[in-house]
Amino acid sequence: MMTSSLTSTTRRSRLKRKSGWRGLVYIAPAMGLVTIFFVLPVLFTLWMSLHKWPLLGEPAWIGLRNYTRMFTDARFFNALGFTAHYTLIVTIAIFAVAFPLALFVEKQRPLVSLYRTIVFLPVVVGLASASLLWVWLANVDSGLFAPLFDMLGLTAGRINLLAKFDTAFMTIIVMVVWKIAGFTMIILLTGLQAIPTELTEAARIDGAGGWQRFRHLTLPLMRRTMALALILSVTGSILAFDQFYIMTSGGPQNKMISVVYYIFNQSFVSFNLGYGAALSIALLLILVTLSVVQLWLLKVGDERP
Amino acid sequence: MRIRREIRARKALRDRIAYHGIGIGAAFFFLAPFAVSFLASFRPNSESGRPPLPPWPLSGLSFDAYRALDSFGSGIWQHMFNSLVVSIGTVVLTVAVSVLAGYGFSRYRFPFKNALFVLIIATLMIPFQSILTPLFIILARLGLNNSLLGLMLVYVTLQLPFSVFMMRNAFDAVPKEIEEAARIDGARDLRLLVRVLLPLVMPGIATVSIFAFLNAWNEFFAALVLLSSNDNYTLPVLMTAVRAGRLGAINWGAVEAGVAVMVVPCLFVFLLLQRYYMRGLMAGAVK
Amino acid sequence: MFTKLMAATALISASMISVASAETISMWVRSGIGDSFKEVVKAYNAAHENKVELTEVPFAELVQKYATAIAGGQAPDALSLDLIYTPAFAAAGQLEDLTDWAKALPYFNSLSPSHVKLGTYEDKIYGLPLTVETSIFAWNKDLYKKAGLDPEKAPATWEEITANAEKIRGLGGDTYGFYFSGGGCGGCMIFTFTPLTWGAGADILSADGKTATLDTPQMRKAVDIYRNMIAKDLVPAGAASDNGVNFLSFTNGKIGQQSLGAFAIGTLVTQHPEIDFGVTLIPGVDGKPSSFAGGDNFVVTKGTPKLADVKEFLEYTYSPEGQKIMAKYGSLPTRGDIANEVLEGLDPRLKVGLDAIAVAKTPYTLQFNDLINSANGPWATFTNAAIYGDDVDGAFADAQAEMQSIIDAGQ
Repeated sequence: MMTSSLTSTTRRSRLKRKSGWRGLVYIAPAMGLVTIFFVLPVLFTLWMSLHKWPLLGEPAWIGLRNYTRMFTDARFFNALGFTAHYTLIVTIAIFAVAFPLALFVEKQRPLVSLYRTIVFLPVVVGLASASLLWVWLANVDSGLFAPLFDMLGLTAGRINLLAKFDTAFMTIIVMVVWKIAGFTMIILLTGLQAIPTELTEAARIDGAGGWQRFRHLTLPLMRRTMALALILSVTGSILAFDQFYIMTSGGPQNKMISVVYYIFNQSFVSFNLGYGAALSIALLLILVTLSVVQLWLLKVGDERP
Repeated sequence: MRIRREIRARKALRDRIAYHGIGIGAAFFFLAPFAVSFLASFRPNSESGRPPLPPWPLSGLSFDAYRALDSFGSGIWQHMFNSLVVSIGTVVLTVAVSVLAGYGFSRYRFPFKNALFVLIIATLMIPFQSILTPLFIILARLGLNNSLLGLMLVYVTLQLPFSVFMMRNAFDAVPKEIEEAARIDGARDLRLLVRVLLPLVMPGIATVSIFAFLNAWNEFFAALVLLSSNDNYTLPVLMTAVRAGRLGAINWGAVEAGVAVMVVPCLFVFLLLQRYYMRGLMAGAVK
Repeated sequence: MFTKLMAATALISASMISVASAETISMWVRSGIGDSFKEVVKAYNAAHENKVELTEVPFAELVQKYATAIAGGQAPDALSLDLIYTPAFAAAGQLEDLTDWAKALPYFNSLSPSHVKLGTYEDKIYGLPLTVETSIFAWNKDLYKKAGLDPEKAPATWEEITANAEKIRGLGGDTYGFYFSGGGCGGCMIFTFTPLTWGAGADILSADGKTATLDTPQMRKAVDIYRNMIAKDLVPAGAASDNGVNFLSFTNGKIGQQSLGAFAIGTLVTQHPEIDFGVTLIPGVDGKPSSFAGGDNFVVTKGTPKLADVKEFLEYTYSPEGQKIMAKYGSLPTRGDIANEVLEGLDPRLKVGLDAIAVAKTPYTLQFNDLINSANGPWATFTNAAIYGDDVDGAFADAQAEMQSIIDAGQ
């Protein structure tokens, strides 16, 4: 330490230049992968979005027509609307389950780590596996729910949960909560544990009740964590695809087409690759906007710790 | 005094019952779907179409469902092998690439450092589903389409934002003094990295590995589009064939067995390395 | 002498060629169409120098994967392509022109006409029949007996079918009178449901494929027939969300009647010998029968270096031997001239599938996927909304408008 601070400025700058070159070598493999498998494909997508690009046959330059088409595409707006609806409901549902769970597993008590682990288990399996598992559970003839509800007398006869929008949507929400709540719980838990115990103790001594402490101490101190959990949940929900594809094929009657699903359909079913690319760019812009909001939210949290 | 103690004891008991009641309820909700599907996968063919009430086999343990699963594609072992190759390959490459990059970003100064770091993190914002067609074409140009290696490279790229971020933080947390001391002892560059620093960032590596493994093992969509021959299909792609059914009838037994085969390794890896997984998650959340 | 020598040389060179070009032909086939094609490939590989390497692709992904593979220059040499897609692929210039070779085949004129029609684009032939499939109506004779119906009497009208369904449903429990994949399976419904209107002279597209003609009295009547059966609880609840994976529910023995594909006859006979069933043509809403001529066309990827080998293989599938194997595993004969001979000794019910070819139709459109087959297309949505929804008029209006707008956008 001492020696390095005593070295002459010329030597230091030479060192810096040398290390600069070295640093680039270290990050070169990562940059190479990102360039080939990310930057290039994105630029390519941008290029494609300016063409009428059928999967078969020759692409033709059409300028911004794919983008103007978007504004008159009712199905795209339906997809946006559904995605927003889904994002809102699923985020509320996840928080409604994950926050109490986080409070529940916060204190060190017997078996708490076991409960924590069990709640977290569904997070580590794939969304595709989870969807497959639940599509079986929700099947009217061979699944669990419909016969169980029938047996318990909750429904008259077996109800086909996946046949009507409301019940199918509910099934998917429950599935996603099952799959994701553990994740959000852990994120919230880190926030809870970061609250100094002295503060809660002090509040307790001052005679603040449980709800008061939660409302005036815990919640404000959790702002940053909540913002993070919120952002992760929102971003994930906007990109939702697997569950709709595997569980309902976008049905009943196309009411569950999310934005990514619509892009998939345009690109890989209707083969309008150019239009699909333009939609991807639009989705990209939405996500970038959200990320900016995210940074802003986190910053606001920083200013008022 | 005694009454008071008694009241307190009774309250403690009540609290404990309430606590474990909630705990068991939550555990049931999160565990039941796995348990039901796992048990049901051992039912014989004659029962597999029936509702899992009860879920366990009624007429003796049977591997019919697994046999049915094995009859799809090139056999379950082949697909399991493919999934393992891809997942382990992804882990090894991800660790190698992200350790180097994390070290570079943590310890060196170079032009555009921040911009390059943001670029890597920015890959998180793009739904890779939307760039799949160009990816396919690029892989074909490189002669890597329909190959497990090509798929691996794509997965590694998808893992990089999280992994590089994790490893940079891991290196940041290593005190500079240790490195300086080693430097004075004559350790330089790669040797310094491998001999001195690597053991210190092991927890970070474990975290990166487990995330890479789980994501590669579970990924479905890229594998579906990028692989085009039976022999190369990974488990999730095989499952689309199982889900699509054969001869116009879905074999739910095979679906249950497939879910078990896909889920059990995830749960196993997670339970084994839980500490590192949680640490990684929390480190990510705090930053 | 000279001719003998010539023949010998030809023979030697022929054998040399076949030795030198022991090629492996890569071929894709969609999964779920039955075993007939797999079996014929097995037989071919056992008897020939050349080998066919078959890749099974999930049926929902085949078109996407093939198109992406062409874009990446990695397409298989040949493909068993759902015949309704042949016009679109031919129009895009991705398929090899087989016109001259096809027309030289001595039995060209007896190849399944719908297949050849769909395989033809601008007077050139790009696809030839590989598997032939027609839709037919099947009933379970055991359930007929139990319900007190005459098991040998084929129903000829939908009134009769509905009445029979009610009697069968009367058996109670999980026995149902009728089944169809109603959860937005465009492919299943065009196959089994449109014959109701075709038989009565209506169609969902105009003859030139440029106008959507969905809203006809015949279609309204067909929708009413299905709605009525659902209202009377004659159809299992699972049908409402079945996107095609349980298309063959008939095989579980608890479905009294269902419109199926002729390939199901083979499946039933070989896999479910316990089910005693009868088959007949699907009645139209006014009683006149019709059918959907489906199946796969054999197409060759443009520019494949193995064209000659691919042709050799196709000729094998057209040989009496190849045809016999295909028929045994449930595909109807593609060659009309030897159809009777091929079906000899096989299940007599296959004849019904063959008879259906005469009354069968296939829509010719370049946008079959967008209009009909896609699970999120207007036809699939329509079938679910009109049959299960609360707003039938709305379902007709929406689907009619969306079909027309897709057709117009494609012009």
